[in-house]
Amino acid sequence: MKAKVHSGLSQHKMDVNQAKQEHLLALKVMRLTKPTLFTNMPVTCEDRDLPGDLFGRLMREDPSTIKGAETLMLGEMLTLPQNFGNIFLGETFSSYISVHNDSNQVVKDILVKADLQTSSQRLNLSASNSAVAELKPECCIDDVIHHEVKEIGTHILVCAVSYTTQSGDKLYFRKFFKFQVLKPLDVKTKFYNAETDEVFLEAQIQNITTSPMFMEKVSLEPSMMYNVTELNTVASGKECSESTFGKMLYLQPMDTRQYLYCLKPKPEFAEKAGVIKGVTVIGKLDIVWKTNLGERGRLQTSQLQRMAPGYGDVRLSLEFIPDTVNLEEPFDITCKITNCSERTMDLLLEMCNTRSVHWCGVSGRQLGKLSPSGSLAIPLKLLSSVQGLQSISGLRLTDTFLKRTYEYDDIAQVCVVCPYLSPES
Amino acid sequence: MDSGEDAAQRPLTLDIAGVGNEEPEAHAPSEVAAISSQPNSTDVLFPEESIDLDAEAFISPQDDSAASGSMMDKLNDQMMESVLISDSPNSEEDDVPIDSLLEQGEDKESLDSKEPEEEKKEDVKEEKTEAIPEQGTPDLSVEPVESSSAALVEKEEAEEKEKDLTKDMVTANQAADVGAPTPDSPKGQEEKVEVAKATAKEEPIPVCTIFSHGMQPKTLVPDGFQPTLVKSPSFSSGTNETPNKLAPLVCQPSPSLSKFFTDNGTVNPASDFFDSFTTSSSFISVSNPNAESPKAVTPSECQLSSGSSTVPSAEHQDAGTPSAYFSIGPQDSTPKPVAGPAEPAATMTTLQAVFSGSDDPFASALSLSEVDKRYDAWLPSEETRRVLISVATQQVNPVYVERDRLSMPGLKFDNLQGDAVKDLMLRFLGDQAAMKRQVLTANSVEQNFLGLKQLISTKNWRAAVDLTGRLLTAHGQGYGKSGQPTSHTTDSLQLWFVRLALLVKLNLFQNAELEFEPFGNLDQPDVYYEYYPTVYPARRGSMVPFSMRVLHAELPQYLNKPQESLDRLHSMRSVCEKILTNLEEGLAEDGSMMTLTQENRQASIQLWRSRLCRVMYSMANCLLMMKDYILAVETYHSIIQYEPQQRVQLLSGIGRIFLQIGDIRTAEKYFQEVEKTCEEKGTGPAQDTSVLMNKAFVYLSQNNYAEAHTCFSNPANFFSDANNNAAVCLLYLGRLKESLGQLESLVQQDPALYLHESVLFNLTTMYELESSRSMQKKQALLEAVACREGDSFNTQCLKLV
Repeated sequence: MKAKVHSGLSQHKMDVNQAKQEHLLALKVMRLTKPTLFTNMPVTCEDRDLPGDLFGRLMREDPSTIKGAETLMLGEMLTLPQNFGNIFLGETFSSYISVHNDSNQVVKDILVKADLQTSSQRLNLSASNSAVAELKPECCIDDVIHHEVKEIGTHILVCAVSYTTQSGDKLYFRKFFKFQVLKPLDVKTKFYNAETDEVFLEAQIQNITTSPMFMEKVSLEPSMMYNVTELNTVASGKECSESTFGKMLYLQPMDTRQYLYCLKPKPEFAEKAGVIKGVTVIGKLDIVWKTNLGERGRLQTSQLQRMAPGYGDVRLSLEFIPDTVNLEEPFDITCKITNCSERTMDLLLEMCNTRSVHWCGVSGRQLGKLSPSGSLAIPLKLLSSVQGLQSISGLRLTDTFLKRTYEYDDIAQVCVVCPYLSPES
Repeated sequence: MDSGEDAAQRPLTLDIAGVGNEEPEAHAPSEVAAISSQPNSTDVLFPEESIDLDAEAFISPQDDSAASGSMMDKLNDQMMESVLISDSPNSEEDDVPIDSLLEQGEDKESLDSKEPEEEKKEDVKEEKTEAIPEQGTPDLSVEPVESSSAALVEKEEAEEKEKDLTKDMVTANQAADVGAPTPDSPKGQEEKVEVAKATAKEEPIPVCTIFSHGMQPKTLVPDGFQPTLVKSPSFSSGTNETPNKLAPLVCQPSPSLSKFFTDNGTVNPASDFFDSFTTSSSFISVSNPNAESPKAVTPSECQLSSGSSTVPSAEHQDAGTPSAYFSIGPQDSTPKPVAGPAEPAATMTTLQAVFSGSDDPFASALSLSEVDKRYDAWLPSEETRRVLISVATQQVNPVYVERDRLSMPGLKFDNLQGDAVKDLMLRFLGDQAAMKRQVLTANSVEQNFLGLKQLISTKNWRAAVDLTGRLLTAHGQGYGKSGQPTSHTTDSLQLWFVRLALLVKLNLFQNAELEFEPFGNLDQPDVYYEYYPTVYPARRGSMVPFSMRVLHAELPQYLNKPQESLDRLHSMRSVCEKILTNLEEGLAEDGSMMTLTQENRQASIQLWRSRLCRVMYSMANCLLMMKDYILAVETYHSIIQYEPQQRVQLLSGIGRIFLQIGDIRTAEKYFQEVEKTCEEKGTGPAQDTSVLMNKAFVYLSQNNYAEAHTCFSNPANFFSDANNNAAVCLLYLGRLKESLGQLESLVQQDPALYLHESVLFNLTTMYELESSRSMQKKQALLEAVACREGDSFNTQCLKLV
């Protein structure tokens, strides 16, 4: 019984005021989510079956079926929302507010005020704050309010109505409608630092609502220091690039999707700062989604911050290295050495051969003085005596001022092949 | 590439802040965003940490005292105490804690979804318990209000009064909630409670009223019957109710049934239908004189009594319109097929005239057997096939086939008879009004297929289910007969099909599942004609109609077992495809080396293509229900190749699926394709409409209700759903009265079309929104429904209860 009472759905006739005083006006509120399309249930038979054409005729006469394709379940008939549903952060709360004159007298000076009380603030949502001069019996004052929800948690819609009766009494009543705003998405991020100055951002976005969500836009708005490349499409031929997520860009409930972005420091910042140190602001994610019949939601994350990887005092990075080299043939690499410390360094380069990779050239070379944030590029020559994927190790830099040695192993890998066995030769 | 230290870095949970659009008001949404979006520096240093998302309630509430004007002041002053959320309960000692007030209020006023209230209740409670401390904690934020409320103290008394008032309101409301959904006044409540009690008393109690009326002569007047509940057919002790009387007699194969019926000879014996519907078998008996057919029925008669639908000829369908049946009149001109072969009734001759093509019984018999073969073809499982072969070759007497390989159906529940519309009328409009409600019941029609069809076409599906129950009881498959050996006929299976289809139409899925269960997977040997070589000599294939297989496959999806539906549909699909391959390879449907004429082959290929299509539709519908949109769209799209004439509808449908997901761009692509198709074809009016409808839906999805309304109300859009949709758009535009006016006039002008569940649901929803007098208006709708709709009307959409 209780359930039946409550199946009265989303609009609420809270006749709060009738205990003590008959109010002349009635206030009704209904949340306006998007309407839904009616689905019918096709039950068919063939002409030879007992009902003959009957089932077919019943379906054709049913206004909710698609004419000519009655077995298609999804009809075209719009149905008003059946219940309040859920509301999520970033969506727009829309509501119909109707004040109806239930009495048989003209009511004057009606003021309807709709406020939304959140845990932190109170917003006025009424379209107009001016009073309506008079309302005749059986007439109503209608208002549709919209509000983009920006807070999680309890919200209370407070509707207040004040009016003057014919006898001059000033009356007033209020109603509260409480609802919870839920979190729609779970966003997790992870940074990957490339050997170069590039940073890769992986964002995992999970739909924690109960309905499928079409992700209209998930973009990274970079901070002023970075340029961003989105890596979520596979360029296939012409301008039409295909999404890595396939044709359908929707996310089922509880599904997670990973977005990848590559951030490159803008040249001016990369050069000026030499190295990006400490905490940097990367940017924020901007997410726009849509659900049933275009119900829209939008969220931004807070600024994503990243701890730049510590490079120690001296950073060694590779400017150039071939990916494949021939066995026992010398090849060149170019290293970039950057002074990340606050003092000038006097550097000495040593090279220790490993089992497979051999350095060609003089070990113990003086590189000279390197001021803070200064960098220099050194070409080096190597050869490999073993086939396969080989790791380049054995570089040592010594700061002669502080007598400190920095070791660089596994700085890169090359693929060593034997040219004589390849089918071409 | 990845340096070591980062590898340890775990994904970081982020807080999300609403996008701080600039608000015209002086409130501080941006502050909120700032607070939730500025993580502490410690968070930055330890990025693994999850940042708490509930960074709310840090901002002191804004007091909106800026308004001017006496009335505004008054409003705002009174609002002060309604900074409810952040108020700590102890701030007002002797007063009701505001929280509790809120809580009370919440019970009835929370906008939380109401449908699944029962389930949600618990959640809500949990939330509550969580919410209370939260609301208590931000004491800081309250203090400014309190401290500055020195002025408020003097008002406190007044406020207390106000609060008392609200308290009372709330309690009153509570009471109202328990009593009736929409109390108009306290008085009204009481009344309603009384009404509720009264109806509770009058709730149909299981009484076998059929039998208590037994002394009265049986009439066909469609009214005055109490809702009856036949407990079980075994009660049948000496009444005129033929079906029940027959029940114990007929647990035998139907061909011998007529023996019992002939000496019975009463008005409408249930026998009518039995001998009638087995059209084809009796035809075969014509061509096989030695077949032991109990009665030699001439073809013309047979057609007559069988109802037109059995023979798929054009003339026949003409006769099949219900008007033909109704014109017969149930009392006198009832076709009595069982009676002697020389039936001189005038009605018969006129009816015979309709079947002009039936002069040559042999020719038509031959062509019919071709048609039979085509329609009945099915590929049994290997095991079943072996049993059938051994029966055919007389190695095994059917009697000795294992019991668990047989279908032994029986009714699983008592009659459904009842009329929810009438019940509601009794409850809301009184006995007088309810007396006017006249619907056909199982008793008020002929106890045969004609009666059954009459009930179906007048939308009295509950009564129709009852009638199928009686007819099946007469066939020995009644209540409690499940699990007892029985034999099937074309008719009995057709009856089962109709019964189960109606149960599904009535959303009585569980009942349908229960009664489907003894049939297993519809592949037991005894549902094939080969199993009955003496009754159906030379007839092959499945007795189970194809539509029943579709129904059987679709059923689990309505019971939350969509995967099972898909499995069944897939196996149906493979059978259809195999049969089509057989036909294309020059074989007969079942793969046997039988020569088919080109004509028959083409007809058969066409039939099986359309059946394959039907299965594909079911699959797509099922996938759509499962929200597997990718596969659903793919499947709908693949139907286009089989049904090119439905291209426009299918593409539009796919577009709507995308709109439902929220992918408007892709939807538009499909809608463009629809437009292109329409242009190529040269626009017919129906296609113009679909272009218009699609446009309107796109506008709707862009929140452009005004344009959507224009498209929906375009006069070219003459379909009923467009008018309904236009009215819905008006509501979103804030034009409730107009919207109501439109829907009301639609329902008045064309009730046949607009007394539809969804239209009525929209209408009642708007009534509720419009005024406190929605009850009367809904009752008026109930009256409108009562004089048109049958007992299968879904009264829930009236939202009276």
